Amino acid sequence: MRALMWIGIVLAIVAAGCGSESPNSGSAPVSPDMPSGEEPIRLAFITNSTADFWKIAEAGVKQAQDEFGCEVFFRIPSQSSAQEQQRIIEDAIVRGVSGVAISPSDPTNWTATLNEFAKQVNLITQDSDAPDSDRIAYVGTNNVDAGRAAGELIKSTLPEGGDIMLYVGKLDAQNARDRIQGIRESIEGTNVNVIDVMTDEDDRAKAIRNVEDTLVRHPDIAALVGLWSYNGPAILQGVSDAGKLGQVKIIAFDEEVPTLQGIKDGHIVGTIVQQPFEFGYQCVKLLVELANGDRSGVPEGKQIFVPVKTITQDNLDEFWATLNEQLGKS
Amino acid sequence: VRKTAGLIGILAVLVVTACIWELTRGGGTINFLRAQNLRQLSTWIGLFGILSLGQALVIVTGGIDLSVGSVVALVGTTLALLLDQGQGWSPWIAVPFCLGLSLAIGLWHGALVTKVRMQPFVVTLCGLFFYRGIARYIGEDKSHGFGFQTFEKLNFVSKGALFGLVPMPFLIMLGIAVLVGLLLHTTPQGRHLFALGANEESARFSGIATDRLKILAYVLCSFITGIGAILFSFKVGSLGPSGFGSFYELYAIAGAVLGGCSLRGGSGNIFGVVIGATLIVVLGNLVNILGIASQLEYVVIGGAILVGVFADEMLRRRTLSRRTPA
Repeated sequence: MRALMWIGIVLAIVAAGCGSESPNSGSAPVSPDMPSGEEPIRLAFITNSTADFWKIAEAGVKQAQDEFGCEVFFRIPSQSSAQEQQRIIEDAIVRGVSGVAISPSDPTNWTATLNEFAKQVNLITQDSDAPDSDRIAYVGTNNVDAGRAAGELIKSTLPEGGDIMLYVGKLDAQNARDRIQGIRESIEGTNVNVIDVMTDEDDRAKAIRNVEDTLVRHPDIAALVGLWSYNGPAILQGVSDAGKLGQVKIIAFDEEVPTLQGIKDGHIVGTIVQQPFEFGYQCVKLLVELANGDRSGVPEGKQIFVPVKTITQDNLDEFWATLNEQLGKS
Repeated sequence: VRKTAGLIGILAVLVVTACIWELTRGGGTINFLRAQNLRQLSTWIGLFGILSLGQALVIVTGGIDLSVGSVVALVGTTLALLLDQGQGWSPWIAVPFCLGLSLAIGLWHGALVTKVRMQPFVVTLCGLFFYRGIARYIGEDKSHGFGFQTFEKLNFVSKGALFGLVPMPFLIMLGIAVLVGLLLHTTPQGRHLFALGANEESARFSGIATDRLKILAYVLCSFITGIGAILFSFKVGSLGPSGFGSFYELYAIAGAVLGGCSLRGGSGNIFGVVIGATLIVVLGNLVNILGIASQLEYVVIGGAILVGVFADEMLRRRTLSRRTPA
């Protein structure tokens, strides 16, 4: 009797598991022109953490999925750790994927592991590159360029120069380092001075506290720059709670809604956006080509850069409309 | 009482040292004592203090609640979904609903711990994973906010300040502290909670309804956490289900333990917990204000808890050895 109960429980869990799978993995619509019986190309797209950013990438993935009639498992690790990503790739390979696009959490220490996977599937990196590994290509932003774009915006906002503070989740992420490098390169020789880079370990409450503490410690600070997507809203919140809106310039990255609203309201100078929709689309397109044995999509330097855009009040409306359109598709 | 006095001593020494440090570094102003900093600090002390108060109730019974951070995420995400995202619930319904949810979670924990006799660590550890997963699923891993609606009252209680001076979360925390303090330190139920924490068997044999009291502790803990979650959500404004509130259970436990609660159960006092939570938040603030490398923040917090508990243990032994010869 008891054994029966346990079997029942296990079956129920398995059933629930299968049932709940479809919304996240975007169950494969087998395209109608595909010969019946033939397996669709299976791919996996693995993010590094959760953010609205990846929702937009997912929209790109879905569009490509519909267009090329493949099946893409879109996986979001619950923690941005290399160990969790490894488990997800292993599972994806077990499910029979031929290609994996991943944003590695820890590219530098992960080369050997990535190389293992590169032997088994077509491995490309996106968003964050692992240049020393055997990945076939990288699709994403050149984050040093993104940093330079932010630097240009800082310079035009502070023509006289001034002290600025940078905020980011973790400094060991390559994109954080690249963006900082780009900003430093761009402001070199000007009177703009980076006081420090503050980290918050991905905790948004901590991100706000960092901003508040900065405003106390450096009351005359000229600008605050948020390097990760949630840093923009966190800065806005901290500055607004301290009653310093307008006195302190804010520059952000990515396109969280509060950031865009902040630009619209004139509280944020501008934001540097990547084009995650393109990441998703291009990755799937490339992996489908690779699965069909076509390597022409891989450029010489093995890096496919999706350019960044600087969004200020001038081009906000147009950008926001396009964004909503893309998200509406997901 | 002696314990709490020692803790206030540590806090005072810390603040004075920090002020002297700031003064010697020149500039002539003590940033730590600026009104803006004190207002911000007390807001966070209120928010984290609330979580520690709930946690203390469970720790007194010899239990632990590891699910606090995930409950914060689940309640916060639920609230954001109900108020925004086209659901458009009135806050008058959504807030009680979320508090009811946290109450139900506490009831569930309490029932598993008492009726099924599962260990609190295990029950709430499962909760830690479970509620986080649910929050991510219902929140679809998107970050949520409260739209562009102005929930004036909710914003006021989580961000505002009474007469523009005392932040509301701090006052709410004090209010909860007084209520919980009265419950623990003045009522028979409170005495019984301590008694069952010290020795559950003997408490039960002396006629205390241990199960009912334990369930009460878990329900109150989750309920208070729920209140904290709502305030946190509005204070932070944008919440990502996967990261929101993560590690908060550890801050809550740290505040309670630093405040003199023993994880063995049966001891602790609410005033101490408030001071303990204060100390944890102040440490984080000082790291920033004094410009200590932010990588060292966890070192400072970990070290402070260790020193605090160590000193407490030494004090306790001295008191004991003084009593024995008499």
